Amino acid sequence: MSEVDPITLEVVRNALVAYADEMATVLCRTAYNMMIFEIRDYCVGIVDPEGRIIAQNTGGLPIFLADLGTAVAGAVATYGMDGFCPGDVLISNDPRLCGQHLNNIVIFTPVFAEGRLVAFPALRAHWVDVGGGSRGFGSTASREIFHEGLQLCGLKIYKAGEPVSEVLRLIGDNIRFPHSSFGDLRAQIAGCRLGEQRLGEMFDRYGYATVRAAIETIWDQSETLVRAAIRAIPDGVYEAESLLDHDFLDRATPIPIKVRVIVEDDGMCVDFSSLPPRLKGPMNAGRSGGIACARVAFKCIVAPNAVVNEGEMRALSVILPDDTMLSALPPAPLTFWSSAMPTVIDTILRALAPVLPDRIPAAHKGDMSGLAIYGHDQTRRRDFICLDIFGGGFGAKPDGDGVSAVVSVCQGAVHNAPVEVQEAYYPLLIEAHRLRLDSGGAGRHRGGLGVELIYTSTQEFLANTHLQRTLMPPWGLHGGGAAMAMDACIETAEGTTLAGTALDGARIRPGDRLIVRGGGGGGFGPAEERPEALVARDVAEGLVSIDAAAAQYGVVIDPASRAIDAAATATRRAAMARARRAC
Amino acid sequence: MPALEVRAPQMRVAVDIGGTFTDLVAYDPGQARVRFAKSLTSYPRLSDAVFACLEQAEIDLAEVRHFMHGSTIAINTVIQRSGARAGLITTRGFRHVYAIGRGDRPRAYDLLFDKPVPLVPADRIAEVDERMDARGEVVRALDDGSVIAAIDLLMEQKIESVAVVLLHAYRNPAHERRIGAMIAARAPGLHVTLGHEILREFREYERTSTAVLNAYVGPVVSDYVAELDARLRDQGFAGHFMIMQSNGGTMSAGLARARPVSMMESGPVAGVIGAARLGQALGISDVISFDMGGTTAKASLIEKGEARTVSFYHIGGAETGHPMMLPVVDIVEVGTGGGSIAWIDAAGGLKVGPLSAGAAPGPVCYGLGGEEPTITDANLVLGRLDPAHFLGGRMRLDVEAARRAIGTRIAGPLGLGIERAAFGIVRIADARMSLAVREVSLAKGHDPRDFALVASGGGGPLHAGAIARELSVPRVIVPELPGTFSALGMLMTDARHDLVRTRIADIGRIEPGEIAAVFAEMIAEATGLLARDGIGGQDWRIVPALDLRYLGQEYTLPVPLGDGAPDAAMLAGARARFDELHHARYRHAAPDEAVEIVNVRLTAFGKVAGHLAAFGDITARATARAVAPIGHRAVWFEDGSHACAVYRREDLPAGAMIAGPAVIEEGVSTTILHPGDRAVVSTQGALIIDIGAGR
Repeated sequence: MSEVDPITLEVVRNALVAYADEMATVLCRTAYNMMIFEIRDYCVGIVDPEGRIIAQNTGGLPIFLADLGTAVAGAVATYGMDGFCPGDVLISNDPRLCGQHLNNIVIFTPVFAEGRLVAFPALRAHWVDVGGGSRGFGSTASREIFHEGLQLCGLKIYKAGEPVSEVLRLIGDNIRFPHSSFGDLRAQIAGCRLGEQRLGEMFDRYGYATVRAAIETIWDQSETLVRAAIRAIPDGVYEAESLLDHDFLDRATPIPIKVRVIVEDDGMCVDFSSLPPRLKGPMNAGRSGGIACARVAFKCIVAPNAVVNEGEMRALSVILPDDTMLSALPPAPLTFWSSAMPTVIDTILRALAPVLPDRIPAAHKGDMSGLAIYGHDQTRRRDFICLDIFGGGFGAKPDGDGVSAVVSVCQGAVHNAPVEVQEAYYPLLIEAHRLRLDSGGAGRHRGGLGVELIYTSTQEFLANTHLQRTLMPPWGLHGGGAAMAMDACIETAEGTTLAGTALDGARIRPGDRLIVRGGGGGGFGPAEERPEALVARDVAEGLVSIDAAAAQYGVVIDPASRAIDAAATATRRAAMARARRAC
Repeated sequence: MPALEVRAPQMRVAVDIGGTFTDLVAYDPGQARVRFAKSLTSYPRLSDAVFACLEQAEIDLAEVRHFMHGSTIAINTVIQRSGARAGLITTRGFRHVYAIGRGDRPRAYDLLFDKPVPLVPADRIAEVDERMDARGEVVRALDDGSVIAAIDLLMEQKIESVAVVLLHAYRNPAHERRIGAMIAARAPGLHVTLGHEILREFREYERTSTAVLNAYVGPVVSDYVAELDARLRDQGFAGHFMIMQSNGGTMSAGLARARPVSMMESGPVAGVIGAARLGQALGISDVISFDMGGTTAKASLIEKGEARTVSFYHIGGAETGHPMMLPVVDIVEVGTGGGSIAWIDAAGGLKVGPLSAGAAPGPVCYGLGGEEPTITDANLVLGRLDPAHFLGGRMRLDVEAARRAIGTRIAGPLGLGIERAAFGIVRIADARMSLAVREVSLAKGHDPRDFALVASGGGGPLHAGAIARELSVPRVIVPELPGTFSALGMLMTDARHDLVRTRIADIGRIEPGEIAAVFAEMIAEATGLLARDGIGGQDWRIVPALDLRYLGQEYTLPVPLGDGAPDAAMLAGARARFDELHHARYRHAAPDEAVEIVNVRLTAFGKVAGHLAAFGDITARATARAVAPIGHRAVWFEDGSHACAVYRREDLPAGAMIAGPAVIEEGVSTTILHPGDRAVVSTQGALIIDIGAGR
């Protein structure tokens, strides 16, 4: 492999990411469904024929860190290195390779240099529907992958620039919203074509050999940086556990999550040997799901602000037996393939928290927090579906409070849907979108707060929720308190309250209120050490109640004057500190 | 015909206040003479530097018809968090919308990420009982008692300024107006920002953030504008005082006091307008402006003579800044400037920036204590800067110190020669700055080969040649006095007001009369603003547009409409134009699918009569002088060292032609011609450089 001068190297490094970002812009700006443009449920990359990530867009979904390449490598195995022509377009949601719900469709096209197949621009996007048993984020009723829709395992939908109309018709005839999904498909193909063009320009300018050598060097440099970061972590075997609610089928049985992290010299290993076997309900992910969890946690610890590429993952190994809940084999149901991930990632971080006290925050809300509201809009006389991801708290940090009302560790650039947008498009009236009082874990540094959203309508609508982490609240660290857990309910017009954390087409009638509540983040350090003025400020800002200020922080505030009772506070805090020492 | 004609004041003065310097350019159409002045920006009283410049340029304020002004005061107030103690009144149930934001974590893997610190904390946010729906119909009437309680609560908090932002008030502002009236009665003198007066577009968080920005900078900017206005008038100024807005137009000073949020990007935008006008004067309507200063470089694309605007922007950086949902000239900025530091990371990679040595300690060669090599040091080592003539000879540069720093910190560890390492620093900087140019062109579907690069700022002319090569831009234009280009641009800027109304409807089904009624209301508002700017009806230009998208998409494209009240044919035409624009921008279109209107937009321009129209006016100069170099020196390029002729810019007459490699020096800037480049001096005084033309 030829040596690349450091300047060309830097030019190639910047340009590859710029290409991926440019492709993502085309997709995001022209897609036809909220999952892409608002929820940002997509990822864009440039992949080599072995399935290795050359470049990935900035600001996509972290859970796609592992697996854009597996679909590409699978197709290369099927067709062979000689089996592609310029102008081909391939489609895949192969559950065996991708390990995700079938809505996640990857489109990719071959790029050639000097007559050789050298790369594939690839765009994965969440289609609104791929057939199967439910709409929105999917149904809790799925028992096997065949319930979930069309499986498209590396098919050519264009050959040498010509559409393969039979395959496209077959797809169109078997999905509910072909208008929307074919709009997304056009956007994905346009992104691929742009990637082909940009790569072609780069190869013309620098020569393929130079670019390839630059890519190898970039990987080597990333690996070097990551290994140096791992070397700073004390060697050892670290363990942690946590609890997920259930697999959406057997709702009485929580799922224990146990992980081990082995740090040795400049390498890290995440050991998933103790994960439960494949679940009967649709809470499984394929192998790439387990790998993604390990990769996201790993990246958060050793290279949080570096550009994503294959090299930085070389220092990570993952022990993951076949057919666990995060390495499930067909025909395991995968609808909620990502629901376990925030908690699994949090658990890996928890294992390392004792040896990285200045870098790992307390637990976050631990849930993807998707909400689907749908039905028939009687005013506009058309069906509608409204999707939102609502915010929760991040854990308090070693040096500050946790961030409130954000997406999970798996969702990065995902946005919530503005209330004015939801009401302008759909027949909804949202009574409140506010921070959920007292939801942040108490501590020297307070955990972030979750949100509370209250949905009503003058028309009947249907709702799907599939929340996790409603049983085990987000934990605090180093003496900090736990936060409030995820929650949802329906308050009926008659005044009864029904559980709402796992709804599948629940009817919400005029006069009913659907209330969803994001979990908070755990606290960091003993709560009685939080400065009184900060507790008083939190009360004034509506983040902490007067009762919780006294009970959790030992800060006694007079409800009428809003002044701190210094004497009562001192007594109470001293007692809290004594009790803590006694423990 | 009167026997005696008193000549009305004709002079136009533009003053641009930057972080380090305050620049003045003045021009009198009757005298064909342009005056310049430059003074250190004066803190805390910014107007002192303005008057220092006026004195330097010997301007009699009684002679001034238009005083144009751009200032970084608004954005600096936000970045330095030195704004007013502001409060916010909002709809019950939505107190925390401003703190919640959009919920994203742009640095996805950073567990220690923080959101921007709100400019108004939640203890200064009060809720009132009221509710509109998305059609602007009242769901719950405004409860006056709750308004009084809210005002009293905020006054107890000793606020100096208040924003009122209610849900769906973009559609029906009645409740916001009522609250505004109640505040005026109960808390007279308070600076009040009503959300709908700033913008009429949906998305509650972004609209709240924009209104809060206005409330936050309002008192500071209002006082500043009032003080400057009073000082100008004290000294005889009786003309129009106009302020540069972020949208690339001006507004009256009176409006600026009410809507200071519109002047956030006041300074840099004028340079873009200048680039557009210069392009037009040269008959080149598609240009990219490129401005490189001490800490950042900025690029912006101008198509058919118009600077492109975007309707959304973050004040203080995309990841941690405050969203502002107002039209801003689309400027992409990268943290690469003359002071950017070169370093080697733990893996042995050569990096440049984003850390900057700034003005103090500055580059190593300044000899002010800087130890880390910068881009300026690299340029000096490569012979691109003259150590004896930096800043017109006011500062002597230390070449040996720059060589030592690059040698020990970069060349040694990388095993390269010193010139090779310096060249590497410059190339990496060029690549990074190219990304900014790429982002405004290639990334938006424009081919750089169709554009010319207008280089300004102290470093622009030094690096533009390499950037043009990197992106295959065929031509670089260096205006006269690139260092005061922003102030010059202001003398060419017209008044401009952007209005928007969210109105969601299928373009194929809506009654054209409904859209016509919305436009009629907006035209009345816009022409009122132009009249306030002192611009007569014959100089108005109204450009209506619709934000369109395919039904089911989220992002829209603005599609211009023709003149006159919209009818069915005009809407059909807009729809077809949308298909074309969508295809041009994104490479696919769907002419068979339904298209939806999201926003109705209107831009009103007011031509300022007698403005500096052509650059020829500023360069009346003898053209007979011979072109002779003032000397020669060795300059490094990609293929090694070349002996280059060095020219003085002011010696070059119109029509002069210079072949690269060569160096052209002027007071605060240096232009580099690479081997194969060829420069011609235009009649407007600009250097027109054809990249690689001599090869």
